[in-house]
Amino acid sequence: MKSKKVWKFFFLVPVILYVTLLIALPLLYILFISFLKSDYYGGMISSFTIQNYIDVFDQVYVSVFLKSIAIAGITTLICILISYPFVLAISHKKPRTQKILMTLVMVPFLTNSLIRMYGWLVLLRKSGVINQVLLGIGVIEEPLSLMYNTFGILVGMVYTLLPFMILPLYSSISTVDNRLLEAASDLGASKFKTFFKIIVPQTLPGLFNGSLMVFTPALGYFFITDILGGGKFMILGNLIKNQFLTARNWPFGAAISIVLVLVTCVFIFLYRKLGGKMDDLGGAS
Amino acid sequence: MKSGIRFGSLFLISFFLLFLCSGCSSDDVGVVNVLNWSSYIPDSVIRDFEQETGIQVNYSTYSSNEECLAKVSSAKEGTYDLIFPSDYMIEIMIYRNMLEKFDYSKLQNEGNIDSFYLNQSFDPGNQYSLPFVMASTVIAVNREHISDEIRSYSDLLNDKYRNNITLIDDQRIIIGMALLANGYDMNTVDESELNVAKEWLLQLKPNIKAFDSDSPKNFLITEEADIAVLWNAEAALAYQEMGNIEFIYPEEGTALSMDNFAIPKGARHREEAYQFIDYILREDVMKEIIESYPYKNVNWKTQKLLDSNYLDNIASNIPSYIIEQGIYVENIGESVKLYDKLWAEIK
Repeated sequence: MKSKKVWKFFFLVPVILYVTLLIALPLLYILFISFLKSDYYGGMISSFTIQNYIDVFDQVYVSVFLKSIAIAGITTLICILISYPFVLAISHKKPRTQKILMTLVMVPFLTNSLIRMYGWLVLLRKSGVINQVLLGIGVIEEPLSLMYNTFGILVGMVYTLLPFMILPLYSSISTVDNRLLEAASDLGASKFKTFFKIIVPQTLPGLFNGSLMVFTPALGYFFITDILGGGKFMILGNLIKNQFLTARNWPFGAAISIVLVLVTCVFIFLYRKLGGKMDDLGGAS
Repeated sequence: MKSGIRFGSLFLISFFLLFLCSGCSSDDVGVVNVLNWSSYIPDSVIRDFEQETGIQVNYSTYSSNEECLAKVSSAKEGTYDLIFPSDYMIEIMIYRNMLEKFDYSKLQNEGNIDSFYLNQSFDPGNQYSLPFVMASTVIAVNREHISDEIRSYSDLLNDKYRNNITLIDDQRIIIGMALLANGYDMNTVDESELNVAKEWLLQLKPNIKAFDSDSPKNFLITEEADIAVLWNAEAALAYQEMGNIEFIYPEEGTALSMDNFAIPKGARHREEAYQFIDYILREDVMKEIIESYPYKNVNWKTQKLLDSNYLDNIASNIPSYIIEQGIYVENIGESVKLYDKLWAEIK
């Protein structure tokens, strides 16, 4: 019996090492430096202060928070609207086709996301493919502004994060009992009603899981606002990056990061309040 | 030239490289680790140096002074042998005791540098640095689409240019531009003056298509925008590509930047670093560099070799009266906070 326990521990060691060395320690370090003071030469002065946290609540930075939350929220919403029909359509296909289609969803991950963003640049810009085609067939007379604005940012965000919504939603929709759907249709429920009364409640864990996986990174993907937003929009990711680079204010950047972690915790807390289970967030299916 | 979109990935890569380097023997002779701006020295120059001297060059790049500072200060001492920080960053690095003093007995070609560019306020007596090239901001206008006279920054406020201007993504330069437009010092730390600059930028904002430092010239070349405030060499390259671009040095003044050779504290291959500097300072080598990346040349021997393509173009060969009235970004210490906040407000 005892040797079994030792073995169990042995297999846990890599995970424990990974979590402590690569997640817990860096986070603690960030927490630690968020209470220090910057010397504005790229270094830090070791004296305890909570000034950084007071600064975060300056109206300027609060509005960056709100703007980021708005962009991340809209991104999440669009992802939900695209993913549900997609996942529903896929779930009626043969298992083999399902597998192929889901693999295709993941194919873009094989390329670096920065390169994919530059790909969008070629499509969306004034002299880009989409505008050229539309101009060529006479649908528009002036090139459309498809990027360097909020639209461009949303295209980039939705495109990058969509798989994170589709995957959990797909795994939870495949657990919906078909007999329930048949019963609903036998009892005369409209498709609409079936969707909202049966499918949505049953896929709620997947929906929450997907929403968190889309919403959280959308707050921080600064390369998307930089490239497709033309650097005109500042989201939390840009703000944090600027603190570490241009402003040379690491403690303040750390404080913003910690507040961002807390915001994420609030959303997870809300999720649990609404009846979500932590196990569902693990992506187990 | 600047900004750090790629910082994240570069950071990761440098992390891996660090591991790689700590794996190989550390005191190997015949190696020099150079950390330079991206798009500053053509590959052919590096290869020729390697061939001529037998020294292997490990070359990595950064895209802002702050990225350079972060890389040098977070890496193990001795990781880099030669870096190219700008004026105010030299000052910061000297303050943080991050640079080695130059040993001039190891150099032969330092006399090629025009003395006009030596002995600057950020490093009096050039104890820690030697100028490499100089840059200035310039307004570039696509004359095929825009015919109005543009002479000053304030002319950019014209609402005819809606969504048609691209700016460098650099808070000190762009806020500095707004300060100059209003007749203030580009390095001011006065809050009320900065407030005026903020209002000016908010007024300009509808005209701004994008902030980009990686390749602002592409906005001109792809005709995405017809006006750009960008670094002189970028403007000159856009001109080479498409012609019909006018360069304007605004009457309110321009921002200058001087990039310098510097050797970080604890560099392990100092001899090789000096050899590399000496090689770059050679007039024919500098000519090749300047012809690829037409920044302002500071080497008087090279200046005699350059042709009229370079010399007659005011974007590459910045006129000396512009340099005399140009202003360097200065280290403003804690007040950088004010600029950062203002930047968040206008974005």
